[in-house]
Amino acid sequence: MNIHEYQAKQLFKSQGVPVPDGGAATDEREARDLIKEIGPDVVVKAQVHAGGRGKGRIVKRDRTTRIYNDLIDDPERHEGQITGRRRGGVRLASGTEEALKEFRPMMEQDARLVSIQTGSDGVPISAVLIEQQTSIAKEYYFSIQVDGANGQPLIVASAEGGQSIEEVNRTNPRAVLRVPVDPVEGFPAFRGRSLASQLGLPSSAIRPAGEMFANLYRVFSDMDASLVEVNPFVLTTEGAVVAIDGKVGLDDNASFRHGGYEAWRDRSQENPTEIEAEEANIGSYIKLDGDIGCVVNGAGLAMATMDTLKLHGGEPANFLDIGTVNRKDRVIEALRIIVNDPDVKTIFINIFGGLARVDIVAEGVVDAVGELNIQQPLVVRLNGSNVEEGRRVLHDSGIAVQTADELGDAAELAVQAAGSTKRRTRSNK
Amino acid sequence: MSILLNNRTRLLIQGLGNEGQNQIRRSLDYGTKVVAGVHPGFRGGETFSHGNHTFPVFATVSEAIENTQANCTIIYVPAPGAADAILENIAAEVPLIVCITEGVPVHDMIRVRTALEGSKSKLIGPNCPGIIQPASNCRVGIHPPDVFMAGNVGVVSRSGTLVYEAVDQLTRAGIGQSTCVGVGGDPIIGEQQQAILRRFNSDPDTDAVVLIGEIGGLAEQAAAAYIKRSMNKPVVAFIAGATAPPGRRMGHAGAIIEGEAGTAEAKIKALEEAGAIISRSPAEIGSTMRRVLEEAGKYQPPGPPAE
Repeated sequence: MNIHEYQAKQLFKSQGVPVPDGGAATDEREARDLIKEIGPDVVVKAQVHAGGRGKGRIVKRDRTTRIYNDLIDDPERHEGQITGRRRGGVRLASGTEEALKEFRPMMEQDARLVSIQTGSDGVPISAVLIEQQTSIAKEYYFSIQVDGANGQPLIVASAEGGQSIEEVNRTNPRAVLRVPVDPVEGFPAFRGRSLASQLGLPSSAIRPAGEMFANLYRVFSDMDASLVEVNPFVLTTEGAVVAIDGKVGLDDNASFRHGGYEAWRDRSQENPTEIEAEEANIGSYIKLDGDIGCVVNGAGLAMATMDTLKLHGGEPANFLDIGTVNRKDRVIEALRIIVNDPDVKTIFINIFGGLARVDIVAEGVVDAVGELNIQQPLVVRLNGSNVEEGRRVLHDSGIAVQTADELGDAAELAVQAAGSTKRRTRSNK
Repeated sequence: MSILLNNRTRLLIQGLGNEGQNQIRRSLDYGTKVVAGVHPGFRGGETFSHGNHTFPVFATVSEAIENTQANCTIIYVPAPGAADAILENIAAEVPLIVCITEGVPVHDMIRVRTALEGSKSKLIGPNCPGIIQPASNCRVGIHPPDVFMAGNVGVVSRSGTLVYEAVDQLTRAGIGQSTCVGVGGDPIIGEQQQAILRRFNSDPDTDAVVLIGEIGGLAEQAAAAYIKRSMNKPVVAFIAGATAPPGRRMGHAGAIIEGEAGTAEAKIKALEEAGAIISRSPAEIGSTMRRVLEEAGKYQPPGPPAE
């Protein structure tokens, strides 16, 4: 789960990591008070979960698709070339009036931020972070993530900050430092000082930078984070170190230790159908561009099902891992989500029962056809636990359904069914 | 007798909730030797019965080991307590620990991996279907038993349901399995694909291996490096997620595309260069393996079970 930059900075601040003075505002009065307190020179930053903010655009809802297509055509077109209301999501301003001029379009009704990472709908802007400007001497990169192969936290740092670390790694891999963390020791300040020294920070900044790194590691471990990233932290012209950006990813699996992370979660940044799927206890749902609605158990099989459809010339409308089905209403809930997607022309159910029992899946499918009044062609492939019983349930129900025993055959049926119903042009969602 | 399990495997089940009970009944029906259970709140003297089978249930792993000489534990404990259960088994020096549980926090797994270092235990999982070895009727997991058949092909996979899918195709193609291992879909797991390949490589009962990977992480590249360096048996590989949109998490926490190295294309390329035979379609794993075995003269048509 991602959190906003302003929330990440609250976490940083609470652990003693230096961040610029400032805070989040959602209305003009709050913004005005903040600017009065920390101004006149401020940075105004739209708070969204998507990346690519600086090169994105603030637009009204009805124009997101057009702007998104422009950005995709030419992702390098810089915000500076765009005038008028189509501004980027990170703006500098001097004085209250200028800052408010940047603030207002971000918090307008129906304002959305579109970037190459948001998709054509863009994302709503939850708040605006207003901060004091920092006089930058040099930018650096710092992150802590989980290195799966070694089973340890891994710190990645570079003296070439402020740009994509993937890009630095590609063009100048020697500029990227990797420091594995011994989880028993953690990351004490002396390790931090050693890293600061390797980054070439001036001697007066070694101690504060070392402490900053150690404190960022505390955020990582106390919050059960999967990622803490500061790109950039800067050396100011006065010689101080400051985290001027912040990104924190929290481990959903650890939410039980943190009150569900409710204080940090912002549902407005999530896809409504994906929230619906979560509330129905569906393992995982992701909306895609095609027209074949998929219900599959297991993430691996769900991906493989998408792959098979594509190899047969079809396009999946979604990724859906139903998880372990031990109650038939779960199947009905999953199918409700699929049926409510207007892009879905055919439904493909592929269940290989291990923990899941496919006879229960079959009963759920039969009930759903009646309850949800499913009109789309239905292709069902069942295998695994209680498969004979499952196939019998489908057969005896008399519902209109095509079945196949093997994955390839079933995918072929689904693609054919989608092809024969494809009349309207696909939406560009 | 193939890898990890054999007919001397004495299984301990930890976590006898509803799902644990259901699954252990199916393992008992399959012929697996289950010798003990562990569930908090149990005291000495209590037992679990299914059909003609009865085993004692203990409050702690160390008591269970002391009394029953169990040498393998399967963990069905819910996510908040799963890492603690693994640590308990490491402390009790259980040689093989298999953790089925999904949703274990990644910071817990960092602690587990640290504890495994230098210990006497090996871990498979978490978030995995477990291990099954048809020839010794040993089912340490949640597999649908009917699709499995004894034979000479090993299977290793990050995804659980793709183990079943691949095995179903193998069995339909007349190819039995030596051992099938689901290593788990999480970012931090016990043994990774590469370690399982090494085991299969020195296993006289395995003639070829199916390797099923997916997008995200670098485990398939590590497997490819091992294949190139040391593998002397054919490997048929499939990588799930070639068509997944970049940057989205597809269920498994491990399956996030991190840059180019995490893509299916990068993994397929690494495996192909290492000499693995790629099945582009997940529906062709069985037929590809059949062809590979026939070419190597290792195809054994199914017959009465070998002694």
